[in-house]
Amino acid sequence: MESTLIKLTVQGVMPDAIPNSESQVVILQDESKTNTLPIWVGVAEGTAIRLALEGVIPPRPLSHDLIRNLTEQLGLTISKVVVTDVKNNTYYASIYLRSKQSDKESELTVDSRPSDAIALALRTSSPIYVTQEVLDRLAPENVDPWLKMLGSKEFGGTV
Amino acid sequence: MLTQMHVRGLMFDPYTNAYIVILRDESNTEMLPIWVGKPEASAISFAMEGITTPRPMTHDLMKVVLETADAKVISVVVTDLKDNTYYARIHLLFEDSEYSIDARPSDAIALALRSKAPVFVNDNVIRKNNSEDMDRWLENLKPEDFGKYDA
Repeated sequence: MESTLIKLTVQGVMPDAIPNSESQVVILQDESKTNTLPIWVGVAEGTAIRLALEGVIPPRPLSHDLIRNLTEQLGLTISKVVVTDVKNNTYYASIYLRSKQSDKESELTVDSRPSDAIALALRTSSPIYVTQEVLDRLAPENVDPWLKMLGSKEFGGTV
Repeated sequence: MLTQMHVRGLMFDPYTNAYIVILRDESNTEMLPIWVGKPEASAISFAMEGITTPRPMTHDLMKVVLETADAKVISVVVTDLKDNTYYARIHLLFEDSEYSIDARPSDAIALALRSKAPVFVNDNVIRKNNSEDMDRWLENLKPEDFGKYDA
């Protein structure tokens, strides 16, 4: 069954609300700002996402820059990334790659953590989607605190 | 000339707050320390210890993307050392053509260990490493260290 996909954009990366937590939270929203998806990521992945958001070009390619360079060199294009599932608080994502092998186009799918998928999508200007099922399973109490923070001064008040 | 090297270990450098990957050649005559960041160090140590994580880490993803596309990692080469920065290249075989992609040695090594590809070091880098170490030693020498031999 094909599930409905909702396009999201990354609003920002914030430190976790829990003190001394090593995690960071990536906030994604749909165009109408009615759906918000917070995804917890590690420090390294959070940094990788933040650098791409800020358009920072590091002197040497970082790990996700390297993945982008590898795919570009091999003529693979990232058509989209999709947050597909959530199980036991772990989010799952898929990266869709299009390959042009001797005039024959094929689509490849690779399983990934959402953090890597997002870091890569931002570097390749690829769209980010989430399935309706994942949004339906979000508990409001997990989303509301981040909605408040998105509107706060600290975050630049982008909402 | 290239020398094949193996990852012999990983050390923490408290002075720079960074990690050092130790590469050694087969005969243990050449040694190359490479400073890497924390996430890259853990990516290398997971591969060395054969630890598999429940979800693919960044370099696992890198490996799987290449595998899914039918691209093979032939080798990685540490090619140069400039201003204390090491440079590497990843050599790939894809659709009967060879590709060479610029990378940091840390990413290249993390990928090589996962793809079971050999790691080579350009002999110039081994020599430069020795002379840059010497330069650093000389820089750190204080004037009074020389004074002893003044007549």
